[in-house]
Amino acid sequence: MKVSCAIAITMAALFAGTDLSAEESDYGKDRSSGYLTGSFETSTSLYNEDDKTSAVVPDGHFGSNNYLKLDYYKGSFSAGVQMEAYSPVLVGYPSDLKGAALTNYFARWNDDRFSITAGTFYDQFGSGLLFRSWEDRALGLNNALLGARLTYSFNDIVSVKAIWGMPRFGMKFSETQVKGADVSFALSNLAGWQNIYWALEASVMDRYEALDDQRRLDGCSPNTTGWSARTNFEHKGFFLKAEYVDAGQKYYYNTSYSGEGQMYHRKRGNAQLIETGYNGNGLGVNVALRRLEWMDSKVVTGSNSTVNMLNYVPAMCTQYTYMLTTLHPYGARTGEISSRFTNSGEIGGQIDVFYNFRRGTKIGGKRGMKVHANFSTYHTIAQEGTFKAGNMLFRDLSVDVERQWSRKFKSTVLWSMQEYSPKYGANKTTWLSNIFVADLLYKFNSSFSTRLELQYLTTQEDNKDWMAALVEVSFAPNWSIYASDMYNHGMTKVHYYNGGVSYTKSRTRVALSYGRFREGLLCSGGVCRQIPAYTGANLSVTMSF
Amino acid sequence: MRTFLLSIALFISAVCAAQVPSVTVENAKGEAFDTKTLLEEGTPMIISFWSTSCKPCIRELDAVYDALPDWLEEADFRVVAVSTDDSRLLAKAKSFAQGRGWGEDFQLLFDKNQDFMRAMNVSVVPHVFVVDGKGKVVYSHTSYVPGNEIELFEAIKKCSK
Repeated sequence: MKVSCAIAITMAALFAGTDLSAEESDYGKDRSSGYLTGSFETSTSLYNEDDKTSAVVPDGHFGSNNYLKLDYYKGSFSAGVQMEAYSPVLVGYPSDLKGAALTNYFARWNDDRFSITAGTFYDQFGSGLLFRSWEDRALGLNNALLGARLTYSFNDIVSVKAIWGMPRFGMKFSETQVKGADVSFALSNLAGWQNIYWALEASVMDRYEALDDQRRLDGCSPNTTGWSARTNFEHKGFFLKAEYVDAGQKYYYNTSYSGEGQMYHRKRGNAQLIETGYNGNGLGVNVALRRLEWMDSKVVTGSNSTVNMLNYVPAMCTQYTYMLTTLHPYGARTGEISSRFTNSGEIGGQIDVFYNFRRGTKIGGKRGMKVHANFSTYHTIAQEGTFKAGNMLFRDLSVDVERQWSRKFKSTVLWSMQEYSPKYGANKTTWLSNIFVADLLYKFNSSFSTRLELQYLTTQEDNKDWMAALVEVSFAPNWSIYASDMYNHGMTKVHYYNGGVSYTKSRTRVALSYGRFREGLLCSGGVCRQIPAYTGANLSVTMSF
Repeated sequence: MRTFLLSIALFISAVCAAQVPSVTVENAKGEAFDTKTLLEEGTPMIISFWSTSCKPCIRELDAVYDALPDWLEEADFRVVAVSTDDSRLLAKAKSFAQGRGWGEDFQLLFDKNQDFMRAMNVSVVPHVFVVDGKGKVVYSHTSYVPGNEIELFEAIKKCSK
C-alpha cells in the first residue's frame, strides 16, 4: 500500500510534469480562474551490503521519500496541500516518518493589511530562538502548526500576528498546543526618516502539553510561557540587531536518572543575541555574539528525535559544503543534565569579513578578486546564570580567496583550521585539524566546462589524515557528470567513493548517483542529524509546475 | 487514492501559468517587503533563489553579474536575488552579497523562513524565474551549470521585445 501510494504520487507528478510544455505555451491566458502551481520531489535509494563500513541496510534494501505539493491562487485567496509518502523512509531520516498521508493543508486570504490562514502554516518570531515552525526536507523536519494565524499591518509602521496551533511531529499533529503573538513597530517609518530603519519588536509564546505521571510527580507545569524583545537598526550600511529571549520554565531530563530523586529538573531558558556590522563599498563585515542557556524546546516530551524541535537554535558558524570541511560540523548546545556532566548551554560568537577587490585595481586585476574570512568560537557556560565561558566546544578560523583569472579559468582556495571538543565540552580535550581546498573551474566553451576539487585534511587526532578529490564535467544546458573520492589514508584506509549523472530540463531535474557514505552528522541550516554509514544507488527527481 | 491523485494531475494540466504571489520577505535594510510590489515597475525581471551554502547559486549569480552590463544593452530588465538563508545566516547573506558586488546591480531580498520559496514552489536552489512586464512567469529553471545563463538571457530578451 505504501509503495503503491508512492507510485501514485510519482505518477501524478509525472502527469503534471509531462504537460509542462503545454503549460508554458498557455501564458497570456486570462487568469481570472486563478492558477495552480506545485512541485514534486522523490529521493529513492537501493542499498547494498558493505563490509568496509558496516553499512546499514534496511529491510528490502529500499527506501523512498516522496513529496507532492499543490497550491492554488486566485486573487486574495490561496489554498494548498502537501502529500508525503515514505516507502519506507530513507536511511538516516527520522523513523517517525512512515507511510503515506496528506500531511499539510491550508487555506489563506490576504489583502494589503490583513491575512488569515486556517490549516497548516509555517512561521517564526524574530530569529526563531523563541519559536519557529519550518520545513527542511534534508533533515526530515516539518513542524508546521495546524491551527490558525491572523496578521495585520498598517502602513509599514506596525505589523502584528497571532498564532494558535498544534505542531506536526512525524506524520501526525501532536497534542501539544502553541499560542503566540508577535508585534513589530517601525519607529523610523512613523517618524518618516528616510535613511534610517529602526524597529522595536516583541513576541510572546505559550506551549501547553498535558503532563504524564512522572512530570506531575516532579512538579512540572503543563504550560511554558516565554517572551522575547528585539531591536533592529540600519543606517547607510551599518546595522545592529539585538534580541533577548526569556523562554520560560523548561523541564530538563536527567540522562543518567537512576530511579531516585527527580527525573525532570526545572530550568529557566534564556538567550541573548547581538548581530552588528557594516555592508557597503564592496565590504561586508558582520559580528554575531550569542549566549544560550536551557534553550531546548521540543514538540513532544520524551522523544530524542533530532527533528523534535519547536524553536531554531542553529550553530552560528560557517556551514561548509566541501567534503573534508564537513567531517565534524558543530551543533549548538542547548543544555544537558547528567550525573557526569551538566552544561547549561553555550556562549560564543563569530566574525565574517567579505571584501571584493574590484576589477581594474592592483590586487583585483582585470577581473576582480573576492576574499572572505571567518572566525567562530563557542564554549560551554562555566557557571549557570553567568556569562563565564567554560570549556571549548568549537573553534574555526577560515580564509577563502576566489579569483577569475581569465574568461575561462576561475579558482577558489580555502584554508580552515577547525578545533572541536569530542566530549561536547565535558573536558578540556580538543581535536584540531587543518583543511586545504582548491576548487578549479575551467570553461572550454560556452557549454562545456569542468570543475576539479582537491582537498586535504591533516590532524594528529581522530582518524588522522584524509584526502579527497572531485571531478565534475558539465554540458550546458542539460547534463552534468561527477565522480569523487574521499580517502582516509591516516588510519582506516577506507575510500568513500561517489559518482553520478544529472539531467536538467527547465524545472525538472533527474539525478542518478551511487556511492558510499560515512557515518556522521548531516547538517542543513545549522541543524544536524546523525546518519549511519550506508552504500547504495539513489534516484532523485525534483520538478515544479 | 490513485484515482484522486491522477485527477489532480489532470487538473494541473488544464490550468494557467504561475505568477508572483504576495508574500512578506525582508529587504536589505530589514524592512518587511511584499513580493507583489515587485510587479509595480512593469518591467521584466529575473528572480533568482540562492543561499550562501549553495555554490551553483553563487556561480549563476556571478555569471549574471558579470554579463549584466552587456545584457542591459540589449534588454531592459531587473535582477532580483532572493536569499533563502535562515535567520542564522541572514546577516552573513547580506554581507556576502555586498562582498560580491551584487548589492549594486541586483535587488536583494531575504526570505528567512522560505515563505516566498515555498509559494513559488521552489524545491531546491538554485532556481531562476523570468517574469515578464505583466507579471507572468515565462521561464524557469532549476540547478545551474556554466552556460545556463545563455538560455536565461534568451528568455529575458524574448519578453523585453
